[in-house]
Amino acid sequence: MYGDYDLPFSVEKEEISITVEKIEKLWVYRRTLGEDTEEKLILGEGKHIIINPVEPLNTPKEITPNLLIEFEKALLLPGGIKREIFLTFPIEIGVFIADKGNKNLQLLDVFTLARQKFTLYGPVSNGIVCKHWKSGIYSVPPSPNPLQEGVMELVLRNTTSDWISISKAVFSAYGMRLYYDTDVFMKAHMDIRSKNTAETGFEQRNISGELKSYNLKDQNTRKEAIGVYNRKLDFVPLNFNMGLGF
Amino acid sequence: MSLTILISKIIALYLRKSLKDKVSKDVGETIIKFFYYGTVIIVSISALERMGIQLSGLLLAGGITGIILGFASQNIVGNLISGIFLMIEKPIKIGDQVEISETSGYVTDILIISTLIRTYDGLLVRIPNQQVFTSNITNLVSFPVRRIDFTIGIRYSDDADRAIALIKDLADKEPFALLNPEPFVYVRELKESSVELVVWIWAPIDEWFELKTKLVWAAKKILEENGIEIPFPQHVVYLHNIPEKNQIPAELKPDKEKEIESVLNYEERVLT
Repeated sequence: MYGDYDLPFSVEKEEISITVEKIEKLWVYRRTLGEDTEEKLILGEGKHIIINPVEPLNTPKEITPNLLIEFEKALLLPGGIKREIFLTFPIEIGVFIADKGNKNLQLLDVFTLARQKFTLYGPVSNGIVCKHWKSGIYSVPPSPNPLQEGVMELVLRNTTSDWISISKAVFSAYGMRLYYDTDVFMKAHMDIRSKNTAETGFEQRNISGELKSYNLKDQNTRKEAIGVYNRKLDFVPLNFNMGLGF
Repeated sequence: MSLTILISKIIALYLRKSLKDKVSKDVGETIIKFFYYGTVIIVSISALERMGIQLSGLLLAGGITGIILGFASQNIVGNLISGIFLMIEKPIKIGDQVEISETSGYVTDILIISTLIRTYDGLLVRIPNQQVFTSNITNLVSFPVRRIDFTIGIRYSDDADRAIALIKDLADKEPFALLNPEPFVYVRELKESSVELVVWIWAPIDEWFELKTKLVWAAKKILEENGIEIPFPQHVVYLHNIPEKNQIPAELKPDKEKEIESVLNYEERVLT
């Protein structure tokens, strides 16, 4: 389903149906997903549609820039060690309209097949609302449904000398870089700083020349984060500081 | 003087525009207000000197006037000082949803003397800062999440465990019903007519109202769909020594002979 489409077009996969057809002088975009439908009118010629996976933080409403992945089982990591694990993460599907050459990209629609749930990271008084996802821990990349889930390669670095137990990881959407072909990937790291604090972030360099990449929140859209964070910042950090435990 | 006010207003306008994307609205407004009033006061004092009015000469007169004005403007000064403390302590910010002195709504502005609240039904309420500062202030949006709290009564004949499971399942299907803190549903009280269930579900602060209105009705519907009913208040009345069908107790039977006799007596009386 992911890819570029010239108008008019129609694509159907699983429960999703997307069509763009010309009615008189208007292009009509229609998307159905189960009982949920979206219809928009497009004025203009020479446009094309891009369908690609986007960060799982837009639906049903963008209320947080953070994704919390809860591990199905707690993971114990010895001190001073670096290990790689694989997790799954939810995917939302973004439909963009663009000029030729992918210029003037505009989000037309976003929807998801993944379960949507929010949670609070930390206590009520100073916690952070996050999108929630529960994932198993894998030693080799799993093969989930690419329309629903992606695979995250997570490099864990325990910089302390003690054993630590990890049951969740929180990531900021503003540093996410997502790669996709038929499957969807992200590469992230989690550095354990102390018994209660860690820092997570994403690899910004390309992990494979074959894959398309989508920088989910670039410098321009990062300005929007100011509103989401509910406080004024000159910049939004790409890494997330997990200061309330993991 | 009027030129100064005009220039101050233009600069305040420029500051408001340039600070818009850099600092939050309440901080920006505080900076602008300090700048505006500070400029007006400084220019007023220097203007008086330029006009030949000696400020030192005004000290004595000012002292006496000050005492008179002090008594007369106690409330204004109290409000002013309270306003400054409100700006420093910041129990509320512009845009917050608050409850102050039985007034609920959005804080639209915190001025030097008063605080403006837009109530939920669209009225503008001006509360003097002294009253704001000395009242109990409930800030409804201070924390990132808020608990939805409601009760449902079910019949004694219904399975409370099943009802609890249904409500928890309902919360699980709602994206904005938070996983942590965990939803909590329990039997609080065995009331006269119903078993009272309490529902606690946490929601992100901006989604609280919408989710609450949705959940209360959805809980009622899901319970009824599963044969669990919300009972009306009721009393069970037990009757002892129930008489046989259509049999009237002897003591309640009318005395027919006496009745006929009395009628006859009446007729006899009429005839005679």
